[in-house]
Amino acid sequence: MITLNYIASFFLIVLGLYCIVVKYDLVKTVIGLSVMDYGVNLLIITIGYHPGGTAPIFTAGEINPASVFVDPIPQALTLTSIVIGACVTAMSLSLVIKLREMYGTLDTREIRRLRG
Amino acid sequence: MSFLSYQHFPIFTIMLYFLGAFLIVVFGKAKALRHAVAFLCTAGPLALLISLIGRVMVHGEIISYWMGNRTPVGDYAIGIALEVDALSLFFGLLVATAVFVACLYSFRYMERDHNVPQYYTLYLMLAGGVMGLVLSGDLFNMFIMVEILTFAAVALTAFRNKVTGALEAAFKYLVVGSIGSTCILAGTIILYAQARTLNLAQLAAVIPGNFGVSTKLAFALLFIGFCTKAFIVPFHPLAADAHGAAPASVSVLISGVLTKSGIYGIIRLVFFLFQTMNLGTMQFWLVFLGSVSMFVCVTMALAQHDFKRLLAFHSISQIGYVLTAVGLATGLGISAGLYHAMNHTLFKGLLFLAAGAVLHETGTTDLGKLGGLAKKMPHTAALFLIGAASISGIPPFNGFASKWLIYQATYQKAAETGNIGFALVTVIALVTSTLTLASFVKVTQSVFFGQMPEECKNAKEVPFGMRFAMGILALLCILTGLFPGLVTRYLTEPAAKAAFAAGNYINAMMGQGYAERIMGAAAPGAPAVSFASSGVWSPLSWLLLLMIALLAICVVALSGKYDKVSVRSSKEVEKKYQLFYGGETQSFSQVGGGDLFWGFKHNWRHYFSFMHDLHSGIVNDYSLWAVVALALAIVYALIVL
Repeated sequence: MITLNYIASFFLIVLGLYCIVVKYDLVKTVIGLSVMDYGVNLLIITIGYHPGGTAPIFTAGEINPASVFVDPIPQALTLTSIVIGACVTAMSLSLVIKLREMYGTLDTREIRRLRG
Repeated sequence: MSFLSYQHFPIFTIMLYFLGAFLIVVFGKAKALRHAVAFLCTAGPLALLISLIGRVMVHGEIISYWMGNRTPVGDYAIGIALEVDALSLFFGLLVATAVFVACLYSFRYMERDHNVPQYYTLYLMLAGGVMGLVLSGDLFNMFIMVEILTFAAVALTAFRNKVTGALEAAFKYLVVGSIGSTCILAGTIILYAQARTLNLAQLAAVIPGNFGVSTKLAFALLFIGFCTKAFIVPFHPLAADAHGAAPASVSVLISGVLTKSGIYGIIRLVFFLFQTMNLGTMQFWLVFLGSVSMFVCVTMALAQHDFKRLLAFHSISQIGYVLTAVGLATGLGISAGLYHAMNHTLFKGLLFLAAGAVLHETGTTDLGKLGGLAKKMPHTAALFLIGAASISGIPPFNGFASKWLIYQATYQKAAETGNIGFALVTVIALVTSTLTLASFVKVTQSVFFGQMPEECKNAKEVPFGMRFAMGILALLCILTGLFPGLVTRYLTEPAAKAAFAAGNYINAMMGQGYAERIMGAAAPGAPAVSFASSGVWSPLSWLLLLMIALLAICVVALSGKYDKVSVRSSKEVEKKYQLFYGGETQSFSQVGGGDLFWGFKHNWRHYFSFMHDLHSGIVNDYSLWAVVALALAIVYALIVL
């Protein structure tokens, strides 16, 4: 069951990269970046998973060596990563809007004034 | 621990930048207040770090700091740590110096722009991100800082969004930079899955010698991630695009500071976290990547017609020197590499600021439209010449000292290992240095000398504030060139030793004896840095080198007989070449200052046209290069490590 998560996360990362490399539309490039990001998030959360674990929320004295809970650190990391991913999407979309205004197209093959 | 104890200095250094960024958002409307905050928040960190030189560089102390005083519990690092050893402090000093000087420059340089408060906010965020990266003792925090600096750099690249290509450059940088950041995050988390810690010291104790498949994958991901930040080939087109479009003071940060953060990451990774530098293949790959970056970027620079874009390619070429020297993994090699990294920050900063001064006065950076500015801007011209002489490696400026050490280090490595390949690297380094000089002769001629076009008639000397900032960098260029002994003893040699001494770093953070307990007796120490061969002069081997270099140039010039050439502007240009070869239809021809080496370029036209077609400017191509590099790195890591 958990193996499926790992496979899915790497599949998402590769799918995102494929989308960035192959698609000539700026918006699709941004979507590719997001998909790649989701893949990494899924990977992080899967690494913290513990079979049968509860949420890692305990009050003083409640925790004992027998208590089983999922690793809290990856969850904190995922939150940070999701926030950063949202920033990437927002920023790249704002650049796309500006690029559309200036170049009049969304085709990456025509947005290449800087080359050589 | 009292409040003003030196142990708090690293966190103050990082937080001052972020505090400044925040304060400018709130109070940035008033110009005087904005400048005061920016000045204090860039001068403060520099002063704090300089005050640490005595302890860290001279006495070899390692400052470790646990946020909220959460020290390790039972051999497990549960808190977030900052750790400053000589290597971190060395890069921290570079960052603080460049940020401070470029900030002084931007007070006058940016005054004609709109939204200046936002500029300073982003500027300080970028500075804080890089500073946090080099002083951090925690892998995940390094990722956070990488993201902060990438964002700030992208936003600053697009800051003057009316400039041709600014938005385009920012978007390309964002896409490939995000691929790099995602690689770093994925590598970090895969390491966490194995070691269940994010602390650098604990990872460095646990990981080396315990390589599983996932560790190797993590290594490849982290390595490519930091290569993206250092703009090593194949990521160099991004740097060229970004530098050309960004304001000059930001170019200083991108070239002098951001690339250094990538180099710092690579050093931490290969020398320290994974300790793979004792492998011959790893040394080979670093030296190979460095040499390719060196040569490809200097030839790309020769073909450029834009002042700042040309400087950008040179910047990556010099980073190639640094990576090559670091990849030798000898005491002399890494010391020379760090020396060159420092010099690169100084002279490249100076050159970009001079280019910014020219742009400020004339409104263009096109080499074809500039000329004769030395009459109008004598001080800027003199300062630019100092920078140009430094980057070309002319004594007594600083570029000479570090390049000489790099030649010595590569040659010494060849003698020690008996591998002729390292001697070939010396040749490539020499040829690159020559081409750098050629390129700067061209720039100097076409910008500051020669005929003055009508558009430049109104240019005048830039304000004193800008010249003062350039003057500081020029002075540092001369000082570090005149006193190489002091620089190596107090700055680069302690840093080079710290790169090898993983055991000390681990013990300083995790408690005495931890490294020995976890790693057995394998905790590596530092090799001696020997300058025994510095200044040794052997005419015969230099003659041999010259002949190899000539041979190489002939081979490249004669190869590629096919005649598919895309860099051919007009019939006029063709007539110029006919004149050169005796098949003239005209009795004389006009050669502009920006086209000083057209004969050379004509001979190499196949190479240049090939490279021109390769750098297509399509973001998909650059992403494809990144993916291919990543795939190669993964294959290498899985097979060899």
